[in-house]
Amino acid sequence: MSRDAVKFSLALGVMVVFLAGAADQPQKLPVGHATDFTSESYFEPPHEQQVKMRLSGAEAVPLPGGLLDVKKLKVETFNVAGKSEVVVSAPQCTYAMLDGVANSAGRLEVLALDGKLHVAGEGFLWRQAEASLTISNHVRTTIDIDIFSEKKTLP
Amino acid sequence: MKKIILLLLAVAGGSALAQTNVPPKSPVPHQPTEISSDSADFDLNIRRAIYRGHVSVVDPKVKMQCEWLVVDLPASGGHLQNVNAETNVVIDFTDEKGQTYHVTSARAVYAYSLEGSVTNETVTFTGNPKVESTESTILSEPLVWDRTANKFHFYNEQMYFKQNISGGGGTNGIPKLF
Repeated sequence: MSRDAVKFSLALGVMVVFLAGAADQPQKLPVGHATDFTSESYFEPPHEQQVKMRLSGAEAVPLPGGLLDVKKLKVETFNVAGKSEVVVSAPQCTYAMLDGVANSAGRLEVLALDGKLHVAGEGFLWRQAEASLTISNHVRTTIDIDIFSEKKTLP
Repeated sequence: MKKIILLLLAVAGGSALAQTNVPPKSPVPHQPTEISSDSADFDLNIRRAIYRGHVSVVDPKVKMQCEWLVVDLPASGGHLQNVNAETNVVIDFTDEKGQTYHVTSARAVYAYSLEGSVTNETVTFTGNPKVESTESTILSEPLVWDRTANKFHFYNEQMYFKQNISGGGGTNGIPKLF
């Protein structure tokens, strides 16, 4: 994460930066209400031009302690070829900007494997730096691939 | 003595049945697999899912319950290659002949590999594995379910028959195994 370039855009132009650009640069904290924002992090060289992760939301309201109340959170990860790998979405969450951690008691959905993997649950903790997701309750996963097929060929 | 002979015949018969018990190509349309649990952790970097608490897997071919399940998800288009289930593992499935099997163990490991043109797909049960059919119960440590050949491999097995094989004699006393 230390070398990740981070971009943050605001539709209404109220907010500033959501995440820091590099570790040696100070974190810039939002100072107001934001809507339709996007934050992108990039792969290490030689793929530094490729987006590794995109975090977006419909609305972000600052809370005390460097937190953001985010509505309609969406986190999408990509491979080095630019193909979408995982999409995480939640109606609401609290995002700790300095830690890159999001959590919520509400619902969460994950789509992966070209939509063939769907995960849903209630209550989650998302650690952006580790690309780690914990779902606390009522986890339900649907895998739309033939897991117990008799014979398969690898791609 | 009669029991021993019948057991040996049963083993031989079961072995022969197992070797010829190759399932036909499934015409059944594919249906998704459902996994439910109390909680779960996902490491998106290595595509690993860890399910905890009252884990239930419902697949058109297999139903499984356990307390802890680790699934290494494949890359897009790839095949599932490794699954580890632990603590009170219970697996139920029905073969193409309608025979039901109930397998219990402390641990089960699903492994899939493709070496050249040879597919290896096994589920290895350890920790007091036991497989029950309508006619018999077999204890084996470990117990290996070869999914490619669709048969079980037993090691140091103990067999128990649910029907009375000592009375009456004849071939009716020989239970059908796998």
